[in-house]
Amino acid sequence: MVRAIDCADAVARLQDYFKRELTPELAQEVERHLQHCGGCFAHARFEENFLLMLETRARRDSCPSALRMRIVHTLRLDPERD
Amino acid sequence: MAEPSTAGRSFDAEALPHLDALYRVALRLTGDPAQAEDLVQDTMLKAYRSWRQYRPGTNAKGWLMTILRNTFINDYRRRKLEPVPMDLEAVEPHALYRSVETTDPEGTFFSQIVDEKVIEAVDALPREFREVLVLSDMEDMRYAEIAEALELPVGTVKSRLFRARRQLQAALHAHAVEMGIIKPRES
Ligand SMILES: [Zn+2]
Repeated sequence: MVRAIDCADAVARLQDYFKRELTPELAQEVERHLQHCGGCFAHARFEENFLLMLETRARRDSCPSALRMRIVHTLRLDPERD
Repeated sequence: MAEPSTAGRSFDAEALPHLDALYRVALRLTGDPAQAEDLVQDTMLKAYRSWRQYRPGTNAKGWLMTILRNTFINDYRRRKLEPVPMDLEAVEPHALYRSVETTDPEGTFFSQIVDEKVIEAVDALPREFREVLVLSDMEDMRYAEIAEALELPVGTVKSRLFRARRQLQAALHAHAVEMGIIKPRES
């Protein structure tokens, strides 16, 4: 049986829910609440869009290839390694 | 060039795949591409020299992030002024959502903000907030991994993340209002 939670509890868990950081039980409680509460469902979309936005903006930079080559070269010649 | 030793090959296989993530995190920590390059190079050299302390098959990315972050704190100073933390305890937890729920309940305004502004807002977070947000929400590390990498309790990671996201949302919202992307709250 999934425990019923109130709006404050549901909202407080939304970000952890979308980051998949809740236990299955806590996640189920959130899902159950969202199925019945339009207000929190809308708020959930908001938090989800915020986190998705960060994720999609994030990985546009990569290590410059000159730096990568310099590092590999330096390490090959490093006399001090263990 | 000398042939890599067995240990050198294991370093290549386990550490080098994380160069992109290390560089991105270094960019957000230093706020400067040239310093980010130096920081990544220093980090990789330190990691290489202490590779014996790394237990094979454990979390190499987290291990490297620890070195990167400690090197940054000990040896680097941000070129930009370090932002002053906002008094977030004074901010009502869900104030931002309340201010958009009638005008843009799904937060579609986030997608209309250009990349540079998002990055600028991330860079304006205090370092303690910025590092957890970048590792969690931009590099997709688990809370437990971040706690280990930054040598913090998981509870501290969670509360910093919560406050970092709130401050970032507030900054992006203010920007969206300023740019006319969303209307200010009617009151
Ligand atoms: Zn609710």
